[in-house]
Amino acid sequence: MISLGHFLTVGAVLFGLGLVGFLTRRNFITMFLCAEMMLQGVVLNLVAFSRYHGNLSGQVLGLFIITVAACEAGLALALFLTLYRRGRSLDSGAWQSIREIGVQPTIDVEPLMKTVPSPDYPRLPVAGRLPVAAEETARV
Amino acid sequence: MSDPTNLALLALGLPLLATILAAVMGTCSTLAKWAHLPVVTAFAGSAILALLVLSKVMQATGSEVAFLSTAQTWFHAGNLQVDFQITVDPLSALMLMTVTFVGTWIAVFSVGYMHDDPGYARYFSLMALFVFSMCLLILASDLLLLVAGWEGVGLCSYLLIGYYYAKPSAAAAARKAFLVTRLGDVGMILGIFLFWQAGGYHTNFDKLFAHITANPPDSVTLTTACLLLFCGAIGKSAQFPLYVWLPDAMEGPTPVSALIHAATMVTAGVYLLARAMPLFVLSPDAQIVVALIGGFTAILSAFIALAQHDLKRVLAYSTVSQLGYMFMALGAGGPVSANLVVTAAIFHVFTHAFFKALLFLSSGSVMHAMGNVIDMRKFGGLRTLMPVTHITFLCGAAALAGFPLLSGFWSKDLIIDMVYQASEHGGSHATLYGLVFLTALVTAFLTAFYTFRAYFLTFWGELRTPPEAGHHAQESPLGLLAPLIVLAFGAVLAGITVEPFAHGFSNLLVKAPSVVLANSVLHVEAEATHPHFDFALAGISTLLALSGMALAWWHYRTGIETVPAALKSVYRLSENKLYVDEIFNGMFVKPAEWLAVLSRLCDGLLDGVARVVSFIPRLIGALLKPLQNGLVQFYALGMVLGLAVFLTVVVVRTSQ
Amino acid sequence: MPDPAQIPSQAIAYQLIGAGLLAAVGFLFLLPRPRHRQLLVGTFLGVSALGLLVAFLVTRFGSATADWVSTILFWFFAAGAVGFGTVLVVQRNPARGAIAFAFVVLSTCGLFLILAAPFLMATTIIVYAGAIIVTFLFVLMLSHVSGPADENDRSREPLLGGLAGFGFAGLVLFALHQSLPPASANTTVATPGLPLAPLTVVERSALLDAATHLAEAESANREQLLSTEFSQSTRERLESVVGGMTAPRGTVSLQQRLTLAQAEPRTATEIQQAAALKKQIQTTFDTVETALIDANPPDEARAKQALRELREQVVILAGTGGLPARNVSTLGLAIYSEHLLGVEMAGMLLLVATIGAVAIAHRRGDAT
Repeated sequence: MISLGHFLTVGAVLFGLGLVGFLTRRNFITMFLCAEMMLQGVVLNLVAFSRYHGNLSGQVLGLFIITVAACEAGLALALFLTLYRRGRSLDSGAWQSIREIGVQPTIDVEPLMKTVPSPDYPRLPVAGRLPVAAEETARV
Repeated sequence: MSDPTNLALLALGLPLLATILAAVMGTCSTLAKWAHLPVVTAFAGSAILALLVLSKVMQATGSEVAFLSTAQTWFHAGNLQVDFQITVDPLSALMLMTVTFVGTWIAVFSVGYMHDDPGYARYFSLMALFVFSMCLLILASDLLLLVAGWEGVGLCSYLLIGYYYAKPSAAAAARKAFLVTRLGDVGMILGIFLFWQAGGYHTNFDKLFAHITANPPDSVTLTTACLLLFCGAIGKSAQFPLYVWLPDAMEGPTPVSALIHAATMVTAGVYLLARAMPLFVLSPDAQIVVALIGGFTAILSAFIALAQHDLKRVLAYSTVSQLGYMFMALGAGGPVSANLVVTAAIFHVFTHAFFKALLFLSSGSVMHAMGNVIDMRKFGGLRTLMPVTHITFLCGAAALAGFPLLSGFWSKDLIIDMVYQASEHGGSHATLYGLVFLTALVTAFLTAFYTFRAYFLTFWGELRTPPEAGHHAQESPLGLLAPLIVLAFGAVLAGITVEPFAHGFSNLLVKAPSVVLANSVLHVEAEATHPHFDFALAGISTLLALSGMALAWWHYRTGIETVPAALKSVYRLSENKLYVDEIFNGMFVKPAEWLAVLSRLCDGLLDGVARVVSFIPRLIGALLKPLQNGLVQFYALGMVLGLAVFLTVVVVRTSQ
Repeated sequence: MPDPAQIPSQAIAYQLIGAGLLAAVGFLFLLPRPRHRQLLVGTFLGVSALGLLVAFLVTRFGSATADWVSTILFWFFAAGAVGFGTVLVVQRNPARGAIAFAFVVLSTCGLFLILAAPFLMATTIIVYAGAIIVTFLFVLMLSHVSGPADENDRSREPLLGGLAGFGFAGLVLFALHQSLPPASANTTVATPGLPLAPLTVVERSALLDAATHLAEAESANREQLLSTEFSQSTRERLESVVGGMTAPRGTVSLQQRLTLAQAEPRTATEIQQAAALKKQIQTTFDTVETALIDANPPDEARAKQALRELREQVVILAGTGGLPARNVSTLGLAIYSEHLLGVEMAGMLLLVATIGAVAIAHRRGDAT
């Protein structure tokens, strides 16, 4: 028999993971997904309690949370689009104008590792052999 | 309409209506140049109504004549009950007549003088408000209502002196006038409060006087209160040491000067003291102070007037000097019966209103012709150029100098007589009254001299006109001359027709309630109602006046100012106004500035303490400031850390 | 298996602190950064932290061996949720992160199934995996960046954030340890005669039969409602179940019953519900008789209303006993009866959010 504690632990760990992601990741989309993961942890808790107490209130609350999450998703999407239009970036660090007057803006000093794309030289196929069609690398 | 209070209310309401009408007309550019119409009409109407009121008062029989309008509560708080009520008695009726009559002719003069001025409607609106305030002051039957009119007069004088507000000197003069008179008003308000407390919590004149005379407070309180009330009169009527604003008030348009000097503002203090005579006669110490201040002011300003170059300034100092005469007369009340001193003072107010208005308007006419130049060194010999102005000015100057049989002669003689009588019956203060009497005589001589100095410098000698005059250098138009001629007749004839033989003033004023009350306080019967004419005194003063005029003719008949070497230093002293402004500067302004510097230092010290205190939260703020770096995730981190700390506390507490 | 009563809190605390620190340091290596990102070390540390966590779970809540199927499923889905969650957090590419999140959602849905919440499972999959993730992938495509970018290759305060997040989770788990009763209570106290799971399958089907019977009353006329066959048989059927539940079988001491109620609130709840239902059966049939016989004219509607209410109670008791069976209908009943206000408010919230999203995303002129 799986006890209540097991589910609550999983819920808490999901919540913690989401929290870490929300605090550290800088992409708006990732942050949002992490927030959703925190909500998943909460819903898991509620459903576990629902099962434990033998009534449906927990599940109903879970439904409400899903509703709120859907609202949140819609609004967040709209906000991200607006922000992206303004700043051409999904970086949360690009928006720090609400800081106190006199505080220097936080600037990342460590340079990004630039992957220099190798120049796309034309390559001649080796004579006498059927050329292999270059596969397009897809970045998902 | 038979009730004189209704007529008086109407006379009061007309200028107010004119104020509003003129102000409304000023908003429309086409109507603005007709803004004088309602004002002149209202003034004339008020003057006619005042004449009707006066005739009603004269017709009234009985030993005491007073008409009171129905009392309307103005405000009421605790013990303080102030009614809106007007009094028509001989005193107020005479003053009302003087003010509205002279005011009407000044307004007529202004129509010609102020034409094409951009602030035409504003000027007339303020003039009307000025006259309204003065009428309110005169008719008030309550001390606080009088203060309302008093302050209205002060406000209008401020606005009118600063009429050319773009001119820094005019703005400064307006400010000076306002602040200096306000200094006196503080004393006056305190005096009113003191009387209110001592007088059974009444501010109504009749009730207050009745209460005070029935239950006189101790002499210290009474003298203090009287002197505080006198402070207001000092400020408003330009007595020493607060006379300094009046000469500067010349910065306003000339008709305004005429209005201030002749009719409206400066006579307010004289009127107040005449009104409050029952209070002052109770305190002989206050009376001698009044007389001394009057005498000192008279001789001081007469001396200063000797060497002024500005024609209007000479006239201004002469006003201060004449007001000193009036206060001398009022101060003699006590040793002399109240009806006589009030008659003397108000009679002088009356005659002075005519000849001083005449002199100012004549000088305005000169100024108009000379292109707004008023320095007597720059022009001269104008008698051929401006014959009418010359004659009218001569009339005014002779009246002021006390030339026999002209108006000033009679009133000034009456005052000198009063002071002489006071020195005879003055009791413990007899010597001081004698000093005042001598001062009055010397001042009479000085007055004649400086008046005719101004006259000769302006109208005699070679014809000289300043370059600013241009084509204006000719006789003024009829619109300006008509008031001059009317007022000249007044200046010549007003004295002789009214008082010395007809006894119009003394017969009337003896019926004024405050005078009756003051006489009853002094236990004087009404037998001495008519001032007797003392030929010896009249002879002395005439001699002095004529010698002053002769000296002026002898020295200034060429129209050129020359100063004998022996008198250079005296001349310099007079020219620099006895250095009174400089002394005031050293005595009051400089210490005040040092005090300001000291206060600023203390302020800096306190600020320093406050800064140190405020530095602590600022330091904490500076330490915490980097946390507000604008990164929302950083804020979220802070929230989570705080939540974690809170949770830790909870967990640890429950586990124990 | 150690006796939970003997597990000292200190050991638990060490386990949790160790797991949290290991996870935080591991994430320091795992989280994206421009250089020195060491996935192997990070993975090792993360797996160690997971190990400690599992140890905590097993020592604290015990590892059930009786129900192999659900145990295996639980560990499988739990590992999936946590593992894909980690991937979502540390993945540089947000699109891959979104897919990882989809797996997190699927794993959670598996856990929902174990917890007998199939409707919630379906809803979650549809809403999250179907709508939200697809929408966000769409946004990602719109704002696609190639090569390294600030938002993907940098982290904000990785150590502090990890410590805060995992510290928070650890604290929650410690509080869980403190507040939950010892896990073995439900396995050790097995009193003969008392139903461990209050409703057996037989009883549940009997209840559902009775409910069906009650449902037929809707279309019945007065004579049928009054017939002995209807009322007696329904009552007997119901009371055979309810009465059996409320009356203890065999002799059970009060102490044991209290222990049972504390260990398994579900049992206590159902016993209470059964007692209430028993009372309601009595009153309902009394009401039916009064309404149909004593009242003049016979008030058929009132009788049917009373029977309908009884049926709802029966259904709820049967449903909660075996959640998956009639989950959707009982959930619907609960939503539209007990939580109607909440539903309305949630609907309003959705409407407002829709309007707000449209208003925000609307391009005003040339806003760019």
